[in-house]
Amino acid sequence: MKRTRVFLACAAALLLALVSIFFGPRLLNPLALDAESRQILLLLRLPRSAVAFLMGGALGASGLILQGVFRNPLADPYILGLSGGASLAAALGILLAGSLPLPLPLLAFAGALGACALVAALGRGPEGLRPDRLLLGGIGLGFFFSAVLLLLMTLVSDGGLKRTILWMSGDLSSANWELIPGGLALILGGLALALARSKGLNVLGLGDEIAHGLGFNPGRERFFLFIAASLMTAAAVSLGGTVGFVGLLVPHAVRHLVGADAQRALPVSFFGGGTLLCLADSLGRSLAAPLEIPAGVIVALIGAPWFILVLRKKGYGL
Amino acid sequence: MPLVLARLLVLALLLSGPLRPAWAEDPERIVSLAPAMTETLFALGLGEKVVGITSVCDRPEAARDKVRVGGMSNPSLESILALKPELVVMTTDGNPKYIADQLQRFGIAIHVFTPRRLSEIPGGIRELGARVGAAETADILARKLENLLTTPPRFAAGEGPKALFVIWPEPLIVAGPGTLIDDALTLVGYVNIAADAGTAYPRFSVEEALRRKPDVIFLGLGHDRDNPRTQRLLQRLVPPELGHPGRIVTVSDALYRAGPRLPGGIVELSSGQNLGAKRSDR
Repeated sequence: MKRTRVFLACAAALLLALVSIFFGPRLLNPLALDAESRQILLLLRLPRSAVAFLMGGALGASGLILQGVFRNPLADPYILGLSGGASLAAALGILLAGSLPLPLPLLAFAGALGACALVAALGRGPEGLRPDRLLLGGIGLGFFFSAVLLLLMTLVSDGGLKRTILWMSGDLSSANWELIPGGLALILGGLALALARSKGLNVLGLGDEIAHGLGFNPGRERFFLFIAASLMTAAAVSLGGTVGFVGLLVPHAVRHLVGADAQRALPVSFFGGGTLLCLADSLGRSLAAPLEIPAGVIVALIGAPWFILVLRKKGYGL
Repeated sequence: MPLVLARLLVLALLLSGPLRPAWAEDPERIVSLAPAMTETLFALGLGEKVVGITSVCDRPEAARDKVRVGGMSNPSLESILALKPELVVMTTDGNPKYIADQLQRFGIAIHVFTPRRLSEIPGGIRELGARVGAAETADILARKLENLLTTPPRFAAGEGPKALFVIWPEPLIVAGPGTLIDDALTLVGYVNIAADAGTAYPRFSVEEALRRKPDVIFLGLGHDRDNPRTQRLLQRLVPPELGHPGRIVTVSDALYRAGPRLPGGIVELSSGQNLGAKRSDR
């Protein structure tokens, strides 16, 4: 019964994401596309929706993993200082553009992954990765990266820095087909690794002692799951900057719908996150056209009140 | 006795001439808190009197050796005071009001340049010129701009070529309504396709820009065609499959600043107009 529910949820999400492609500043009729509309569909909307789906999916799945790894319902993919690391690397890359001519997404990916490695190094104890150390290391590094970025912005009046900030604030409008193969490979790799360790993710939620008792090594499980979440988040950042709230909101909604079993919740989080960002982007490009509202803003505007409602229902006292 | 003192006071006032405000003398030490103001002060021939500028003031070349007092939105009050200015020239387009308030609290005279629309700039230049003792040069500068403002456009309103002015390619940010650029486009006879965006510098839909088929795309400073980001934008904005016949013109930042280079900026826009015909309804 639950399997059917998972399948139906994923199928419905995918269908919604597909339908959202046709909404924008102007509605595209898939049955009557002229040459211009075909170009818009192929060059602009399809790559944009594909990037939105991959990003949202990666953030949704990473959020679920990290909330399990940290045993903290407030964890989200950016808590590890990833966005700060990505922004800083992108800014430094732009400042050193002459000697380091690398594209912004690649720089952001390298920065995000570098931040993950640092957080992992800080979070390592004798018994492997510890959630409290990881969390504190991530928050501390995030503050440090932001401070260095702010310092650079104060000292250097380079237009490139503004560009980095603009880009990092989440930009799906620049999406193109070239970005997708790399992002897809990394995100699917991370998702496959997380699915392979889904039992470990389930037992981590029960506490380390019980996990030990069930024959799992919590430090090892945490390490693999951390790698999976980091790969997906770094890839998401490199696709379109930082889009907040998806990684926090989606796992809660998914657990509400299909339960906490990671084997079911992971794919639904991926599809749910992807669809949420596709829908938000579709609304963002339609609501105030020809103006574009960033998808992250739409997600937060709709998501935050809903999130508070769910918390109230669950008796968190808000 | 008090009557004698009062008479003496009246006499002293009469001898000192008509009452003049405290700033009546032309300022000898001026700090500029905006790039447009720095350019204007130098164009008024007051370069020697300018003692401080912001970190973003990059023109003219002679200004680059001046002392920097911080950014446009966050200038250092202490650095400004250390220069002992007799006048601080500011603008409402980028300088925060609290800086003006603090300067006044310290007894520093300020001049705030308020015009934001093209038609208001000549008046603003004249006011500034009168304040800094360069009324005649200011009048010449203002008239140069006024001559262009009164030149009839090549096309009737709404009939000219459609134009898009790119400020930033990724994400696409363009010049919208209420900007000097929009005013200049209208003045020259273009139809700004982003005029309905509702905000000055909107994050504009690439898709909508493609649909609106601009006859001319102006690329702002730093975004020439060799730039990879501009190339990516143009690939999406003017796909060869749709046979785009429009022109792509790279321009300077003259229209970004309410300063003496505005006439040059307007002439630059005119150079994109050699389309040979009225707007095509492709």
